[in-house]
Amino acid sequence: MLSPQAKQRWMRFKSQKRGFYSLVLIGILVFLSLIAELWVNNRPIVVSYQGELYFPTYGDIIPGKEFDLDYQWETNYKELQTAFEKQDGNWLIMPLVPFNPFENNFIEGEYPPYAPSLEHSHFLGTDMAGRDVLARLVYGFRIAILFSLFLLAVSYTVGIILGALMGYLGGTFDLIFQRLIEILSNVPILYIIMIVASIITPNFWTLALLLAAFSWMGLTWYMRTETYRESTREYVLAARSIGASNWRIMFKHILPNSVSILITFFPFSVVSGITALTSLDYLGFGLPVPTPSWGELLQQGTSNLEYQWIAGSAVVALSLILTLVTFIGEAIREAFDPKKYSYFE
Amino acid sequence: MKTIFHYFLIICCLGISVSSQAKALPEDLTWQSNTTSESWASNKAEKGGTFTDFILAFPPTLRTVGPDSNSSFRSYINANQLGLTGFHPNSLKIIPQIASHWAYGNDGKTVYYKLDKNAKWSDGEKVDADDFLFTVDFMRSEHIHAPWYNNYYKEQILDVTKYDDHTISVTGAVARPKDELHYYYGLTPTPKHFYKEIKKGWVKKHNWKIIPNTGPYQISKVKKGKQIELSRKKDWWAKDYKFNKNRFNVDKVRLKVIRDANIAYKHFEKGELDSFSLVQPEFWHNKAKGKLYDNGYLEKVVFYNDMPRSSSGLFLNLDNPILKDKQVRLGLAHALNFQRVIDTVLRGDYERLQAFHTGYGDYSNKSLKARAFDLGKANQLLDQSGWQQRGGDGIRIKAGKRLSLDLSYGRKEHNERWSIIKQGALKAGIELNLKLQDSSSHYKTIMQKQHQLASLGWSTGFRPAFWQHFHSDNAHKPQTNNITNMDDKKMDGLIMAYRSETSEEKRKTLSKQVAQIIHDSAAFIPDFKVPYTRGAHWRWLQFPETPATKTSGSLYSPFSDGGLFWIKKDLKVETKGARKSKTKYVAQNKTFDQFRVGK
Repeated sequence: MLSPQAKQRWMRFKSQKRGFYSLVLIGILVFLSLIAELWVNNRPIVVSYQGELYFPTYGDIIPGKEFDLDYQWETNYKELQTAFEKQDGNWLIMPLVPFNPFENNFIEGEYPPYAPSLEHSHFLGTDMAGRDVLARLVYGFRIAILFSLFLLAVSYTVGIILGALMGYLGGTFDLIFQRLIEILSNVPILYIIMIVASIITPNFWTLALLLAAFSWMGLTWYMRTETYRESTREYVLAARSIGASNWRIMFKHILPNSVSILITFFPFSVVSGITALTSLDYLGFGLPVPTPSWGELLQQGTSNLEYQWIAGSAVVALSLILTLVTFIGEAIREAFDPKKYSYFE
Repeated sequence: MKTIFHYFLIICCLGISVSSQAKALPEDLTWQSNTTSESWASNKAEKGGTFTDFILAFPPTLRTVGPDSNSSFRSYINANQLGLTGFHPNSLKIIPQIASHWAYGNDGKTVYYKLDKNAKWSDGEKVDADDFLFTVDFMRSEHIHAPWYNNYYKEQILDVTKYDDHTISVTGAVARPKDELHYYYGLTPTPKHFYKEIKKGWVKKHNWKIIPNTGPYQISKVKKGKQIELSRKKDWWAKDYKFNKNRFNVDKVRLKVIRDANIAYKHFEKGELDSFSLVQPEFWHNKAKGKLYDNGYLEKVVFYNDMPRSSSGLFLNLDNPILKDKQVRLGLAHALNFQRVIDTVLRGDYERLQAFHTGYGDYSNKSLKARAFDLGKANQLLDQSGWQQRGGDGIRIKAGKRLSLDLSYGRKEHNERWSIIKQGALKAGIELNLKLQDSSSHYKTIMQKQHQLASLGWSTGFRPAFWQHFHSDNAHKPQTNNITNMDDKKMDGLIMAYRSETSEEKRKTLSKQVAQIIHDSAAFIPDFKVPYTRGAHWRWLQFPETPATKTSGSLYSPFSDGGLFWIKKDLKVETKGARKSKTKYVAQNKTFDQFRVGK
């Protein structure tokens, strides 16, 4: 259950309409991207073949011979759909966007990229390799947001624990880590990643851990200061006098009281995670090809400016997400602003 | 270059000498020349005008050897420094340049040359035998700071002998077929009277010196960082010679520095550049269109050439446990849909490369055809090799191992093509993991033989080279060019026979046999070639009926084998007026395919 204070903050947040609706909208977008397979996919939602129902969306591929086609690889459902139109009894329902982000869809007699068209169900057109831009945007968003959240989880965990320890323990421990952080903060992270990525081709996890290894420091400073200040408060002394362990004091007493700082940073950390991945992909040092990615779309778009829909889609999508998150951040800051709402008894 | 480099490595030098005392010529020499090959220029050509082109960067020096000299501008200087002999660009027969006649020694590695008595340096001095002897001293000098040349002239050019002022012989390190002797051991003179001696500090002193030359043009104006101008020598000693007549027509060649090709294209559209090479699909299809073309002011030309093509494709590492199996390699070759890439993202501009060595005339095995995308065959081959089971994701499995292979490549411009190939291979139950690396670490991975499938293109040579790529001496060890780790005794025998053979006919046969084994092994899967050069030019630029040669890499080369075009001044005035008055001409879109292979 929420504490009364947290409840109050939530109410304050909700009263910031712009931020609140941004949160709702972004929540919907994340949810939609998580169930992307159901609405952006080259596999149908349901197939009825000879009285039997198939749900190919999740799970293993269904080879063509399952539907009495003469091949073993995954069924081409768009062809199957055309074939079914002539048959009685068999039918299938394709998702709204009938493409997956890897599929190269070529139109006879034309060269990619194809402009947005309802006729071919490419609502935002295709990229240079004939892949659906909308599909790549949706799956790219899912990867970016999950990447960002994972990155955030790792760097927050490390940052909070180390920051709290530095602030609470002080002394040599504090001193050593201060210097270490100073050194690490001066490492040009982008170059490091470029060098590593040019040697090994990073995957989702290695890239996230690599970024995390250099992005926990920022938060540590705030957490350290906060813990340093809080540890001299009466409630901490009280907890200590009744024999609470250091661990308990740090994470049960001090952390909840410093949470406002952490939460204000939260939306901006999400944004920086997304932009980091996008810029790395843009430069070609990000996730391996052909992973759907906004950076890669931007890269294609900017080197082929005459096909505005590629760069256009990526830019609009990126600006939209970044704006929404900024609105949320603003609202959180308002909600947690101690000057406005705190009072001392 | 790699080919040549490897020949160095295997040769050690003994008894190098440059003799300057008069020696007696062997008596049994048969002097040859070439006056029968056809000229490739047009007698309609007119002299005059300025041809303006662009270079992407100003050269860091005007030297052609030593530090920083390997810029693209060097080719413009070298093209105006004639050698002893040249190659006819269509028939590939030897043609005279500074040497009017040549004869072959009995040892198979010496060529005798009679120098043209008219040959002159641009400063008026005569070219004589001492200038060739001096080339060797010059190239071996440590003061020029060019270890590559130092090495080449020490280990490859064993001896240069002067018989009289206009007769010399050059002896190379190993016996070769006759044509190749000219290619590998042919010398270019160095003006002895100009340099006198090579001293310490040579590099710095000669950074911006204009060296006397023997070719049709000489640098006449240098605006540092901005442009370089070359002027035609009005009384060039070789101007009326058969193979030079009606060529080198423009009075001046002006090279502007424009650091971005897109901006250069804008200059071209304004008429500030006379021509623009448009080999890249995005320029050809997206930029080279519109009114200037529709109204006939700018003319587009596609010219199919026939020259050695880069050995470009996928190299399979045979040391890999999966790729060791030939059936798998054959299956893989049939599972890669290169044709689809050509038909879609490459806009039908490229063609499938058919074999490792293509465009080497009779040295290429023209009967070889690259394996086409054929899922039926791919599936059959893979089923036979024990990979018949498929996992839930459709990828084949054998003994718990997935048929998953890493495909590494070094250029992000190739993302699209490999993504398409990957999708096609999925249908055959093969998973390709695309690994993009930056080009130098990509190359490093390959050199350490850590790749599974690697995309690479080797540069071309004068003749097919096999030892470096396919001999077992170079297999299973890092830093060699045998990147497939091919290790085949039969192949080794043929390669060694090819290397030591001096009869051209036998070499051609051997070359074809080796090519057949390479093809059969499926260790190399050829990908693409660009079978033409193409570009656009203003209508005042005029060309012979055949605007280029069989081996032309560019339509607009003002030097070397080129220099075929001329500028019609009245057309230039007319076209400028027509643009203002919006007069239209017939749009010109020409394709020349007389040299097209397999048309």
